[in-house]
Amino acid sequence: MTTTKVAAPARRSGPNLGEQRKKDVYRRTMARLGWGFSAPALIVIAAVTIFPIVFSVVMSLSNVNVLGSGFQIDGFTLDNYNVVFTDSTWQYALVFTVGYTIVTVVVEIVLGTLIALVLERLQAGRGWMMAMLLVPWSLITVISATLWDYIYDPLAGVATQILSVLGFGHPVILGSPASAIIAMMIADIWKTTPFVAIIVLAGLVMLPGDVYEAAELDGANGWKTFWQVTVPLLRPTIALAVLFRVLQAFGVFDLPFVLTQGGPQNATTSLAILGYRAMFTDLKFGPGAAVATTTALLVVLGCLLFLRVFRSQVSETEM
Amino acid sequence: MRNRRTVGGRIGLAISSTLVILFVMAPIYWMLATSLKTTAGVAASPPQWFPIPVSVVNYVTAFTQYNFGQYILNSVIVAVVSTALVLALGTFAGYALARLPMRGRFTIMVLLLIISVFPAIALIAPLYLLMRNLGWLNSYQALIVPYTALNLPFAIWILRNYFIGVPREMEETARIDGAGPFRTVWQVVLPMTLPGLFTAGIFAFTACWTEFLMALSFNSADAFRTIPVGIALFGNAHITPYGTIFAASAVAVVPIAILVLIFRKSVVSGLTSGAVKG
Repeated sequence: MTTTKVAAPARRSGPNLGEQRKKDVYRRTMARLGWGFSAPALIVIAAVTIFPIVFSVVMSLSNVNVLGSGFQIDGFTLDNYNVVFTDSTWQYALVFTVGYTIVTVVVEIVLGTLIALVLERLQAGRGWMMAMLLVPWSLITVISATLWDYIYDPLAGVATQILSVLGFGHPVILGSPASAIIAMMIADIWKTTPFVAIIVLAGLVMLPGDVYEAAELDGANGWKTFWQVTVPLLRPTIALAVLFRVLQAFGVFDLPFVLTQGGPQNATTSLAILGYRAMFTDLKFGPGAAVATTTALLVVLGCLLFLRVFRSQVSETEM
Repeated sequence: MRNRRTVGGRIGLAISSTLVILFVMAPIYWMLATSLKTTAGVAASPPQWFPIPVSVVNYVTAFTQYNFGQYILNSVIVAVVSTALVLALGTFAGYALARLPMRGRFTIMVLLLIISVFPAIALIAPLYLLMRNLGWLNSYQALIVPYTALNLPFAIWILRNYFIGVPREMEETARIDGAGPFRTVWQVVLPMTLPGLFTAGIFAFTACWTEFLMALSFNSADAFRTIPVGIALFGNAHITPYGTIFAASAVAVVPIAILVLIFRKSVVSGLTSGAVKG
């Protein structure tokens, strides 16, 4: 699975020492050239990521005074974290973000796998279906969020109309916490399930055909084949899709910003919305930085944990 | 292979494919249909299923009453320049990390991976302050520089994987023929890694085209809004002009849809590169 194996260049002990020296000089020149080639990219990346991350951590651990002309960092403190961790809004945002991530990713993986299984059976038009699946993926989230906002509109919304025909009265879908959360999840599931389907489909297409023949010879039926042959072979692909999706879902910002503005009553306030609001609306840079830093830390820790679990799974399937 | 030819199987397949198409395309249809309705049609309750009478008033409004032409131009400038920079810088870095004997290549690749998973919210406040101190708020470079940096790690990973696949003999031959390192990359290696460039390019472009948080935070002045910001700030607190927004959206979808359709295979290979490679 990993592509990180960097082969150590074999140092051949040549009979001619002069030849060896020449090679060493050449290698050093090439290494310097390598740094020259990568320097521009690495400098730009560091300036835009490493500097802000360090600055965010420092800011989250400092007393930050907001002045008319800007702000001032004044001494070490753990207050920001204390303020954040004891704030019920943050606690709710953490629970909401984790829950939202779990529910949407599980539904997207199941639905995406189902769609991939359907498309894999198609004998014609699979290319067109793939192209169609890319439309929601490439759609600007602000646009899809506005589209769903209109679909949920209390007066002109299609969803409202369908619900009222089904006998649910005339609900204000985005007006109550529970239905707003479900509505937001549906909008997310619509936009990103196709993305999962594409990844799973690509994995399905690459599965070797002979294992199916073997399963068929063994008398396994379709259901059994799916669970005992397809799913284990697909595991690395699905794990990749899960990783992509969890990372995205955990940082969710655009969708609630446009669809619900984090409401009603903070019901859809994700960690990113909370951090943004603390910094740009309330100008509380210290607590804002603490929210941002904790979120980033959770993402990186989750990622490392995932890779650990995932790696052991890969070696398991290789045995 | 599995039995797929029974009549029941075929009908089931047809029904499930239709459901898939409906699931994906119904909201898209609704967006396009709404953009073609009259103002009364957009607000109609119960909703009009078809845009009758068809009207282009929303398209006219988006470009005349709102500054949508400017937003498109801004998005194109930012996305094209960022993508070009990502490909230029990423090609050299990816080549060096794939081929040249630098120490710590492994560490750099892991660091790039960690950086690429960082949520944007963790970077936004310090970057905002940095941009303000540089006097870069409401400028193209305020987005081009971060977009380039944030899309480079993925591009470097993709391109490095392609470079590793180029046979070393080709480079040796070029060197024996007297080509310098720059010419070797440009004339020998790059043509063999075009699919990788397409993949890295389409991903960088899509990410720049759709990015919202930074564009909103750094470039909220009307003259520098990109499409997502322009659309999010359309109208006012009381009225959301859905028809106009969807007309603008339909126009905004066109460039990216054409690119994605042309480079369909590159996109799919990029999405699955982690699973395919290694």
